[in-house]
Amino acid sequence: MAKMAAQNQLMTNWGGSLFIIGKIVRFLFFFLFLFSVLSQSQTLAGFSREEVIFFFLVFNLIDTLTQFLFRGVYVFRQRVVSGDFDLDLVKPLASFFRPIFGWTDILDFITLIPLACFTVYFVFANQLFSSWFSLVLFGLFFLNAVLIAFAIHLFVSSIGVMTTEVDHLIWIWRDLFGLARFPTDIYSPKTRFVLTFLLPIILVVTFPAKALMGLLTWPWVIFSFTMGIGLVFLSLRFWRFALRRYHSASS
Amino acid sequence: MKKYLQLARITFQEYFVYRLNFILWRLRSLVQILALFFFWLAIFKLGGEFLSYGKEEMLTYLVGIVFLKSFVLASRTANLAGRIKSGSLTKELIRPWGIFKSFFTCDLVDKALNLVFAVAEIGLIFYYFKFTFFFPKSFWNIVAFLVVILISVFLYFFISLWISTFSFWTDQPWAARWLFGVIFLDFLAGAYFPLDILPPVFGKIASLTPFPYLIYFPIKIWLEQITGIQLVKPILISLLWLIAFWFILKKTWEKGLRNYAAYDG
Repeated sequence: MAKMAAQNQLMTNWGGSLFIIGKIVRFLFFFLFLFSVLSQSQTLAGFSREEVIFFFLVFNLIDTLTQFLFRGVYVFRQRVVSGDFDLDLVKPLASFFRPIFGWTDILDFITLIPLACFTVYFVFANQLFSSWFSLVLFGLFFLNAVLIAFAIHLFVSSIGVMTTEVDHLIWIWRDLFGLARFPTDIYSPKTRFVLTFLLPIILVVTFPAKALMGLLTWPWVIFSFTMGIGLVFLSLRFWRFALRRYHSASS
Repeated sequence: MKKYLQLARITFQEYFVYRLNFILWRLRSLVQILALFFFWLAIFKLGGEFLSYGKEEMLTYLVGIVFLKSFVLASRTANLAGRIKSGSLTKELIRPWGIFKSFFTCDLVDKALNLVFAVAEIGLIFYYFKFTFFFPKSFWNIVAFLVVILISVFLYFFISLWISTFSFWTDQPWAARWLFGVIFLDFLAGAYFPLDILPPVFGKIASLTPFPYLIYFPIKIWLEQITGIQLVKPILISLLWLIAFWFILKKTWEKGLRNYAAYDG
């Protein structure tokens, strides 16, 4: 399925090239913006320039990876409305496989590799990790972030099955996710509460970055992994609930 | 004139059919601007100035972004690309109205609705953040601001239509729209941050494009960071860009129509 999606995307090589250029340009503009601002102000919410840029890199890494893996959600509505989703349900695959993983985006993968390499270089060049254990913890938090993102995308797909209202929800998630482009300590306590406990954006972006820098205490570590597992479990239950209420569009 | 009024009425009604689309679009815009408010408030927490911007001026800049994005950048011209691609442009061409005039009519309705919501959002922003909005003291700065945004409305209209005409030659117009009409436009127009916070060389590169005249320069005029005789320069340059894009659009449109085959229609 990934190979087919990649072939489809690479057929439109002009469009694909402009898309990749756009992603790189957007990244560079924001990077330049942060670099310029923090060269003047030195700190943001108590974080140094390098730390703020690291938050930005982690945000981009997780954002790009989740778009690469879960791009299927963006085309899911069409499959529900056209009735093609019925055919997915009879295939020998998990029912959520096609809605979530059915359109892996090779263009995101192309930008992911250099971004990951640069992030690794940046971490070691600026010695942002507090210990080797924090690197391991970062890896675990990173996986946890992907799990939480999977759960969110599955929730959205479940709502799409029941109401066909997918596009707006996923874009609202993307826009809210963009709040984590900067260290979330800049937001008010109420906003941080919402972004931690209601929309776990802080768990997805800020916690991995803070784990690497040795800034997370153990209660938060335990809470984060518990939330990750809990959200995946809830999202799978909700998906099954949605499927039971699915009315095929084609028949 | 009556037919354009009717078109405006229909466009207005369409928004109330797809109300959720519109409301969620505004909500998304609000989320993006709130992130920037929090960012700059964190920068100014220790007080002082940032380059030529005090806290009130920077927050006024952000309010300016909300207002100008709703007034200048709100447009339906991106729909032209889809109509060319689908072949429904044929229907538009035989209708008893000019296609550019019809798009401009739809744009005016779009801008009016966006402005209503923008005013509400700006009200919310003032209520929540409680800061002093910068008002220019110079009458000529206010006049220059109004003149420049009037020019920028038409300038963006031509630029956006021109990007849509790429659809005559490619069935992937979305890529060009995204790169030039979103990414380059948002950053080079100063729709995320003032361009003068970047190193001067980037400001000079941006000045070679028409984009800064859409948002950045109008707000700089409002903030009285361009005054006196210097006000003439951005007005003249934006006028030149307007004329240039009018010609570019005209030539591209004529060439595109010769190439148009309505093959999807």
